[in-house]
Amino acid sequence: MSALAIGIAYGIATLVVMFSGMPIAFALGSVALAFMYFFMPASALDTVTQNVYEEMASITLLSIPLFILKGAAIGKSAAGKDLYQAMHAWMNKIPGGLGIANVFACALFAAMAGSSPATCSAIGSAGIPEMRQRGYSPGFAAGIIAAGGTLGILLPPSITMILFAVAAEQSLGRLFLAGIGPGLMLVALFAVYSMYRFRKEYRMAHAAFKDGATKSAMLDDHVYTLREKVEMLPRVGPFVVLLIGVMVALYGGFATPSETAGLGAVLALALVAVVYAMWKPRDVRPILVSTVKESTMLMFIIGMSLLYSYVMSSLSISQNTAAAVVGMHLPKWILLAAILFMVIVLGFFLPPVSIILMTAPIILPPLKAAGFDLIWFGVVMTIVMEMGLIHPPVGLNIFVIKNVAPDIPLKDIVWGVMPFVGLMFVAVFLLCFFPGIATWFPDLVMGAPK
Amino acid sequence: MSHDFEVGGEREPEHPPPGHPILAMADRVMVWVNKAVMIPCMLALVAAAVVLSYSVVARYFLKIPTDWQDETAIFLLVGATFFSGAFVQSYRGHIGIDAVAHWMGPKANRIRMIFVDGVSFLFCAFFAWKSWTLFHEALHEGQTTTSTWGPPLWIPYSLMAVGMTLLALQLLLEFAGRVAPGPRKAA
Repeated sequence: MSALAIGIAYGIATLVVMFSGMPIAFALGSVALAFMYFFMPASALDTVTQNVYEEMASITLLSIPLFILKGAAIGKSAAGKDLYQAMHAWMNKIPGGLGIANVFACALFAAMAGSSPATCSAIGSAGIPEMRQRGYSPGFAAGIIAAGGTLGILLPPSITMILFAVAAEQSLGRLFLAGIGPGLMLVALFAVYSMYRFRKEYRMAHAAFKDGATKSAMLDDHVYTLREKVEMLPRVGPFVVLLIGVMVALYGGFATPSETAGLGAVLALALVAVVYAMWKPRDVRPILVSTVKESTMLMFIIGMSLLYSYVMSSLSISQNTAAAVVGMHLPKWILLAAILFMVIVLGFFLPPVSIILMTAPIILPPLKAAGFDLIWFGVVMTIVMEMGLIHPPVGLNIFVIKNVAPDIPLKDIVWGVMPFVGLMFVAVFLLCFFPGIATWFPDLVMGAPK
Repeated sequence: MSHDFEVGGEREPEHPPPGHPILAMADRVMVWVNKAVMIPCMLALVAAAVVLSYSVVARYFLKIPTDWQDETAIFLLVGATFFSGAFVQSYRGHIGIDAVAHWMGPKANRIRMIFVDGVSFLFCAFFAWKSWTLFHEALHEGQTTTSTWGPPLWIPYSLMAVGMTLLALQLLLEFAGRVAPGPRKAA
């Protein structure tokens, strides 16, 4: 069988087994094992477990469960609600301030918890009812939270970025920093859109009121006193200090990324114990159970994706495909557009972890040959995968929102997120024209790459 | 894509139909084992976080060399991951693409799920078997990691072997539940 035929068979077998509904981890492992059996020396099967262990036993990869633990501790506490309320009180005077407060609360929470669905759930459960009570349309309210939640995989410490750094053999510290500029740009774009949309809905509510309709809650002003605002800070302060402290530990040279994950988890558990009195076994158990469930599911996918990539590489499938793509001599930007299109399509079905580990051996060599900076590409790819979290048919965040606010029709949520998908496209274009948005900050902190 | 993100609290594990008494008993044992195994998994997670935090304090403040912390954390986290594989499977928490389920009838879906659970079991059983042989080799040959600390490799291999065996048993139970006579669970 020719290398091309084996490659095609590998792709088809993967699609068939995955679409059968088999768990992604076992599907990838089974296909890899079957192709090892038929096309690789018998000895390869004897070392399969050793391969998986050696690939997984990387302290960088194994920092993922600890980042999840840190996120779960914060996510299971009332920190999200407090954070959102403080943001709301302090931004109340800005037109559309409530929507903007939600975007900011999502960004901050995402940076603390590192998980998109956890952010949607924590901020959305407080933010969506409040926005609707204040007259925001349900789709708009849902869109803000779904889109704000996606920032979880762009802002550090992002699990997606940890995997990209491992797969692309790039500096994790640099990649984390490269996500900050584009993350802030997306926050700004979302906030500006929220303000614009608020004004539009406000004008419509005002016109309807003048025509004799019932007064929308949007037209009411709610004022917070300075005392109310200040009183909200003590509960939020420690978590912001944790966020900053973890970053200082990482970039101040005090701790490695995995140590940062451990330190962050311990501090987060300590903070929820002190601030929210969550120290009894019945409080801590749900945090640990949810961490085990999410991290085990992810680590199994990661381990088996690595086995899948190993077989793909041993059978020269990835090298041949990458060489074929390079050999097509596509113009640089067409190549990038084609790769990003593929990532979008894969995002219909696969979680970001699988997309990165399965495609990295194929897409990274052509991108490198075309002269793209892989750190920059990591950020662009992450934003494109963020879109996968909110675009139909299977955007995870859409379903989390549906759980948080079951009475909002799915159609409204989908239309509500669409403008935000558009803004993410704008962000990708801006990054293509101005790559410095991603690269200036790591260059500033860590110096230019050698 | 299905997912296991909890919004409405913890779900009960999916049990096979209690049609066959042996299966029902095996299921009860497995539920108990999975619950018991979760305790060391949860402790291992916290222990790994504490060990890595200590590493920062030891190196930066106490000026003590840190040679064992990373590998200890790796062993703890590898153990927690593999040990809890069966528990996560009992909640069908290993995500898959379930789009085709909506387009198929109940009978076709049942055949699909028998295929899914059967192949998943075969894969995990093979992996468990090879993990045990790896553990056996590491124990007899006294294999250690390549670091200066050099802890024995049979430790993580044994954790992987036990975890994958439990996972294979969990999948076997689910597969048997689908093919055994008696009331069927939904796909």
